[in-house]
Amino acid sequence: MSTTATIFIVDDDPAVQQSLRMLFRSVGYRTEVFNSGQLFLESYGDDWAGCIVLDMRMPGMSGLEMQQQLNDRQSILPVIFMTGHGDVPMAVEAMQGGAVDFIQKPFNDQDLIDRVIQAVNKDKSNREALNEQNEIRKRLQTLTARETEILHMVVNGRANKVIAEDLELSQRTVEIHRARVMEKMQATSLAHLVRLVIAADMNELSDVGVTRLTRV
Amino acid sequence: MKLPFDKGAVTQGPLRQVQPELETLLDAAIDGVMIVDHKGRVRLMSHAAEMMFDRQETDVLGNNITLLLPEFETLLQTHVIPVAANGNSLRRNRSLGQHHETTGLRSDGIPFEVELGVGTVRGIEPSRYIVFVRDISQRKRRDEALRRSEAALHTAQALADIGNYVIHKDGVTEDYASPQLIRMFGWTVVSNEPFGNLTKRMLASIHPADRVAVAAAFDELELGSQNMDINYRIINTKIEISYIHHLAQLIRDSQGRAVQHVGTVHDITQKQLADYELQQMQNRITHSGRVSILGEMATGIAHEVNQPLTAIATYAKACLRLLSNGDCSLEETSATLEQIAQQALRAGEVIRRMRSFVRYHEAKPELVDGNHLLEELVQLAQTDAHYHATQLVIEPSPQSLMVQADQVQVQQVLLNLVRNSIDAMQDVAESHRIIRLRATLNNFGDVEFMVADRGHGITPEIARELFNPFYTTKVSGTGLGLSISQSIIRAHGGKLWHDDNPEGGARFYFTLPRAS
Repeated sequence: MSTTATIFIVDDDPAVQQSLRMLFRSVGYRTEVFNSGQLFLESYGDDWAGCIVLDMRMPGMSGLEMQQQLNDRQSILPVIFMTGHGDVPMAVEAMQGGAVDFIQKPFNDQDLIDRVIQAVNKDKSNREALNEQNEIRKRLQTLTARETEILHMVVNGRANKVIAEDLELSQRTVEIHRARVMEKMQATSLAHLVRLVIAADMNELSDVGVTRLTRV
Repeated sequence: MKLPFDKGAVTQGPLRQVQPELETLLDAAIDGVMIVDHKGRVRLMSHAAEMMFDRQETDVLGNNITLLLPEFETLLQTHVIPVAANGNSLRRNRSLGQHHETTGLRSDGIPFEVELGVGTVRGIEPSRYIVFVRDISQRKRRDEALRRSEAALHTAQALADIGNYVIHKDGVTEDYASPQLIRMFGWTVVSNEPFGNLTKRMLASIHPADRVAVAAAFDELELGSQNMDINYRIINTKIEISYIHHLAQLIRDSQGRAVQHVGTVHDITQKQLADYELQQMQNRITHSGRVSILGEMATGIAHEVNQPLTAIATYAKACLRLLSNGDCSLEETSATLEQIAQQALRAGEVIRRMRSFVRYHEAKPELVDGNHLLEELVQLAQTDAHYHATQLVIEPSPQSLMVQADQVQVQQVLLNLVRNSIDAMQDVAESHRIIRLRATLNNFGDVEFMVADRGHGITPEIARELFNPFYTTKVSGTGLGLSISQSIIRAHGGKLWHDDNPEGGARFYFTLPRAS
């Protein structure tokens, strides 16, 4: 399964599954159908992109439990919950657990499609941000200890002269290290370098709510 | 006792020879005998008379007879003397004969009723009278007692709405029907007129719908059944319906020939109406129990109906989109429409099931298999169980477990128990929310149903109150579910109880008698 955006439908009701499948096909999405949370988790992979359309109430494992387990596995796949009438407290819990959205059954088709498109786009940008971050981290790892030290000082706004004094190096040596850092980080300017370092440290995946970006 | 005749009279002629016989005759007579002279003085008192008046002859002799019979003089004047005076036949002068009743006085002054026979002795002057006295107070008392007891019986029959009758089989004796029976059946009977064939008469008054059954019961009695016990309706001339409980027996002689058919009829209309009212009340309570169970399940039902509705809306919209894209073949379109129709029926089925469960109905026992009851229950409870992420598991029994039961009411009991179990497991991990259902044949030959959960169980404190009406541990419970369930099961001749589930949680059981 794949990096192309797929809508993962998790619902125990075959009629709901099949009708959703048709609906998403009508807007050109690939779909995968799972009868239960367990079945989904058994085959789930990190590289799955798109979004999950997840029924809140299922026998065995509820939608909330599945979401919890995905969180534990640091999934960033957006989740749209389908709820019944009167499931507001559950929906709140789902949102706190990082769901992008929820929609009440029976729903307006356009409404669901809009939310799915939104979630898929968000997933795409999250994934890009994550990839960029991973890329930057890879570059950071190519730096030597001295280069890393000088990078931090540069980013913190210290002039070469100050750095040279602090590290008891010649100003010339600092300049060489600094050039190597710019080269390895593929930074075009000091401002660019600062942005790369910030991107590596900070959470750019604002809306997903998954803050741990430890995957490399 | 010596006959007090004048020496001359007695010692002459044939009387002399018979004197000892006469004396013995007087002593042996059961009635009291006295001889009274023309002045009313007692001249002789037999032993029986002494006993009757509680006096000694010696104390009475020479005293006026009014001491013993206060009305004697009057009676003598009005009855004996005129007749004696007019009578040309000397043998006819005893008109103060039997059947004349008057009062006697005992020595202690207590009056008692007597019957008098007085004869005037022929051929002597002045007159002498021979008085026969018969104590009839006992007979009077018996007559009175009988009259009273008959009156009491009639009153009792009227009060109790019971009538009785006798049909004679000899073809001669008139049939008898008590006044209350006649009233009950609304007949007009002219006294002294022949009653006619009572059997035919009764059958004619019976409600046409019941007549065949009653006639058959009469026939069975003739053919030798021990007794007859039947309820039916009668219609009286005012077209009013009464409910009758009829008991009858056939009395046979030593040769086994039917002699009499005797029976009682009891007007049970009031009781029947009261029973009906009670039944109606019970039905209403039971019904309200079902409504309230359904109320508790409303969210789950809404969810269950939502599923097909969601599918319908989504199928329709998806199909429209695909059609407008030119991406939907005729086959796919018709398959989708088929799906939509199916889902609509599915939603309708959920509603139909709930409606038929909650509809008011009169209890009607049917022959039904215990396993089937459980399967039906799962259909009914699935919605709610699904909504609460609870699994219902039937442990099927290979045996056929036929019971005679009102299906809706037994479903109500099962559903009530399942609902309680679902509620009891809300704090349990979803994977543990399992309710086991089972019907088996127990050691007593009854069909035993079990609903076992793994919820919070029942503490001894709760167990004490469990079956009390209005006791509930739920926020929105009526507290009637279990007490209604218990009365349903009792009405079916079973019992309902619970124990602790060794796996944790509670197990509820109830029995229904197995139908053969």
